[in-house]
Amino acid sequence: MVRFSQRLITVGKGDGVDYPIWNLAMGGGVLIGIVAITHVIVSHFAVGGGFAIAVIETLAVRRGNPAWRALAKRSSLMLILVSTVFGAISGVGIWVTIGLVQPAATSALIHNYVWGWAAEWGFFILEVVTALLYYATWDKVRPRTHLVIIWLYAFAAYMSLVIIQGILSFMLTPGRWLETHSFWDGIFNPSYLPGIVLRTGICLFLAGAYLTLAALREHDRLARAPMVRLLAWFQVAGILLAYGGYRWWEHVLPESVRAIFLGGKALLPALAATRHLALWALAAYLLVALFAALAPRSHMWPTAVAAMLAACVFFGAYERLREGARKPFVIRDFMFSNGILVSDIGKLDEHGVLATAVWAARGSAASQEAMGRAVFRAECAACHTIDGYLSIRKLVAPVDPDMLNGILGTLREEGKEYARGTYTHQGHVATDKLDYPLMPPLVGTAAEQEALAVYLLTLQPSHIAEASHAQ
Amino acid sequence: MPNSLIPALDPAPLPGPPWLFQVLWVLTFFIHIVFVNTVLGGTLLAALAGLAGEGRRETRTLFVEVNSWAISLAITFGIAPLLFIQVVLGRFFYTATILVAWAWLGMLVLLTVAYYLNYVAKFRLRAGKGAGAVVAVEAACFLAIAAIQVTVNLLHLQPGRWAVVADHVWAALSDRTFAPRYLHFVFAAVAMAGALAAWVAVRRAAHGGDAGACRAMARFGIRAALVATLLQLADGFWLLLALPEEVLRSFMRAGAATMAPLGVGVMAGVLLLVVLAGISDPLAQSTRVRRVAELVVVAMAVMVVTRHQLRDFYLAAARAGEQVTVAPQLGPLALFLGVFVLCIGLTIWVLVRAAKDRPAPGERAA
Ligand code: HEC
Repeated sequence: MVRFSQRLITVGKGDGVDYPIWNLAMGGGVLIGIVAITHVIVSHFAVGGGFAIAVIETLAVRRGNPAWRALAKRSSLMLILVSTVFGAISGVGIWVTIGLVQPAATSALIHNYVWGWAAEWGFFILEVVTALLYYATWDKVRPRTHLVIIWLYAFAAYMSLVIIQGILSFMLTPGRWLETHSFWDGIFNPSYLPGIVLRTGICLFLAGAYLTLAALREHDRLARAPMVRLLAWFQVAGILLAYGGYRWWEHVLPESVRAIFLGGKALLPALAATRHLALWALAAYLLVALFAALAPRSHMWPTAVAAMLAACVFFGAYERLREGARKPFVIRDFMFSNGILVSDIGKLDEHGVLATAVWAARGSAASQEAMGRAVFRAECAACHTIDGYLSIRKLVAPVDPDMLNGILGTLREEGKEYARGTYTHQGHVATDKLDYPLMPPLVGTAAEQEALAVYLLTLQPSHIAEASHAQ
Repeated sequence: MPNSLIPALDPAPLPGPPWLFQVLWVLTFFIHIVFVNTVLGGTLLAALAGLAGEGRRETRTLFVEVNSWAISLAITFGIAPLLFIQVVLGRFFYTATILVAWAWLGMLVLLTVAYYLNYVAKFRLRAGKGAGAVVAVEAACFLAIAAIQVTVNLLHLQPGRWAVVADHVWAALSDRTFAPRYLHFVFAAVAMAGALAAWVAVRRAAHGGDAGACRAMARFGIRAALVATLLQLADGFWLLLALPEEVLRSFMRAGAATMAPLGVGVMAGVLLLVVLAGISDPLAQSTRVRRVAELVVVAMAVMVVTRHQLRDFYLAAARAGEQVTVAPQLGPLALFLGVFVLCIGLTIWVLVRAAKDRPAPGERAA
C-alpha cells in the first residue's frame, strides 16, 4: 500500500492546475457553498424525516390512531418532493459544481472513492424507489407492508449518510490515508465517527422541527399535543446528540486546524464568529425544544418557526465552519484549493507552474503582464476574484511594490517550507505556524513571481488612473 | 497543437480493472437512457397529444403520471454513468463541462423547473383541468437538457475543438454531427414513448378499459413511433456520413466488433418499420404491439454499445500513450457489489410485495 503514495508523487505530471478556469464573479467556492448547503439540509431532512415518519406510522398502527396516521400521510408528499426531487437534483448539482470549480480535487476523490460512491448509489436506488412507493401505496396495501416500505426507506437513507460522511470528513482529516492511501483509512478517518453522531443528531432535529409544522395543521387540539410533544423529544434528543458530536468533532481536529477558528487568537475571526453563532443557535434551540416538550399546547407557529430557523442556522454554520477550517486545502495536507498537490511543489518551483497549467497559460507569452495574469489564474483564482469575493484588487490596493514583493516572497518561501517539511509532522502540516496560514504557497519560478507582481500592480487604482490619464 | 490543452492523466491509480468500469458504465448508461427516453419522448408526446383528437387526455395523463417517477429514476440511474465517466475520462469530461459551464449548471435549473412543472400538470389533470401549455414548457426544458448533453458529449470527444470553444462559447454547437446526433436521440425517445403508450393502451383495453379511448391512444402511439422510426433511419445514415473521416474509417475497419452491433441496430430499425406499418388495429394486434416495444429496446441497447465504441475511436489519438496504473481496491469493490445486490434485491422484493399485497374485503388498508 505504501507503494502507492510513492507512485502518486512520481508518476505523471497531474498537477491539478491544467484545467480551464471558470471565471465566476461570486467565486467558485461560494457557488459550491450555496449548492452544498442546500443539498445537505435537504438530504439530512430526507434521512431524519424518513425515520420520524416511520416511527409515527408505527405508533399510528399500534394504537389505531387516525390522527397520527394523517400526520404521517401529510408529511409523506413533502418527503418525496424533497428527497426524490430536490435531494436527487441537488446531489447531482454538487457533482456538477465541484467538477466545474475543483476538477482536480474531484478527480482525486473519485479515484479513491468511486466504489464508496457506487455503494451509496445502490442505497440511493432503494431510497428513491421506496419513497415513491410509500406515497403511492397509501390506502392500497396492508398496514404492515406500508410499514416495511418506510422502514426500508429509513434504512437506505441512513446508510447513504454513513458512507458519504466518510468522504466528507476525509477531506478535512485524511489521517492515516496520507501515508497508506488506503480506502478504509480514508473513510474511517479521525473525524468520521464524531461527524456521524453530529449528523445523526441533525437529521433527528431537522425532521422534528419540520414535522412539527405539519402537526400544527391538526385542528383537534387533544390530538395535537401528544404529537408536538413526541416531536419535541425528537428534537431534544437530536440537539443533545449534535452537541456531543460537535464537541467530539472539535476535540479530534488537529491543533492547527482548530487554531483557525478557536481560541482567543483565531486565525479567521469570521470563522470564530461562525462557531459562536452555531453554538448559541443550538443553545437557543434547546430551550425552544424543551419548552415544546413541556408545554406542547403553547408551542404554536411562532416558536415552531423559530425552532426550524435555529436548526438551520446551527447546521449552516457548522458546514461553513467545516469548509472554512480546510483552508488552504481541498484535501487537507494533500491538495491545495487551487488543485496543486503538496508533493508537486518542488517540481513546480523548478519548471514553473505555467509549464503544466496549459489552460491558464494560454496567451501568456504576449507580455510580462499576461504571464502574471496567467499565474494568477492558475494559483490564486481558486479563491480570489478580481472585484467580487475576496477581491484581489481591494487586497492589493493599499500595498506598495516593496510590500507586494515581500508578501509574494513570503508566500514562495512557504512553499519551500512545505517541500522541506519544516512544519510537517506525520504528514500533517502545522499551517498555523506559517505567516499566511490560509493561503497556499506561491509556487513556480522567480520569473513567474516577478510577472505576478507586475500584473497585480496593474490592478491598483493608481495604475488605472495613470493609464487613463496617459490616453 | 490542439492536444497540448489536454490535462494530464490523474496520477492516482484506477481502483479497479478498466474493463469493469467500461462494463458498468455501458450497463448503467443503458438503464439511464431507457428512463431518459421515457421522460423525453413521453413529455413530447404528451405535448403533441393535442394533435390526436380522441384519447388526448388519456395520453397526456399517462405520461405525466409516468414522469412523476420516471424523472427520479432517470436522475438516479444517471449518477452511475456520471461516476464512471469521471473515473475513466475525467480529464476530457471536466474540461468539456467547464468550457460550457453555465449551460452545464443551467441543466440543473431546467431539470428542477421541468420536474416541478410535471407536478403542476399532474395535479391540474387530476383536478380535471387542462395542462397543455404546462406540458409544452416542460417538454421544451427536456429538449434543452438533451441539447446540452449532446454538446458536452461532442466536446469531450474532440479536444481539437477546445481552443475555439474557449474563445467563442457558441462554437460548442458548431459540429457537423450535432444536428443528426441530437435528432437521433430525440427520434429514439419518441419511438420508445410511442411504443409504451400503445402497449399500455392495449393492456388497459384487455383489463376492461374504455375501448374507444384505448384505441385512440394506441393509434397515436403507433403513429408517433412509425414517423419517428422512418425519420430515424434517414437520420442514422446522415449521422454516420457526418462522422469525422478518421473516426468513420476506424469504425468500419474494426470488423465484426463494431459492425455487428450497428448492423443489428439498423436491422432492428427496419424490422420495426415493417412491424409498425402492419398495425392497423392495435387492440386486435397485441402481439405485434409487444414486438414493437421489444424491438425498440433491442435497438437502443445495441446503439448504446455503438455510441460507446465511437467514443473510443474519437479519442484514440488523444489517449494514445495513456499509461493507466491500476491498483484494484478489492474490499471496497466487494462492498459495492454486495450493497448493489442487496439493494436491488430489496427493491424488487418490496415492489413485488406492494403489488401483490391487497387488504381482504373488510380489512383495513394502510
Ligand atoms: C485558499 C484560498 C486562497 C488562495 C488560493 C490564495 N489566497 Fe490570497 N488570501 C486568501 C485569504 C483567506 C486571505 C485573507 C483575506 C483577509 O484577511 O481578509 C488572503 C489574502 C491575500 C492578500 C492580502 C495579504 C495581506 O497581508 O493583507 C494577498 C495580497 C493575497 N491574498 C494574494 C494572493 C495571491 C497572489 C495568490 C496566488 C498566488 C493567492 N492570494 C491565493 C485566500 C487565498
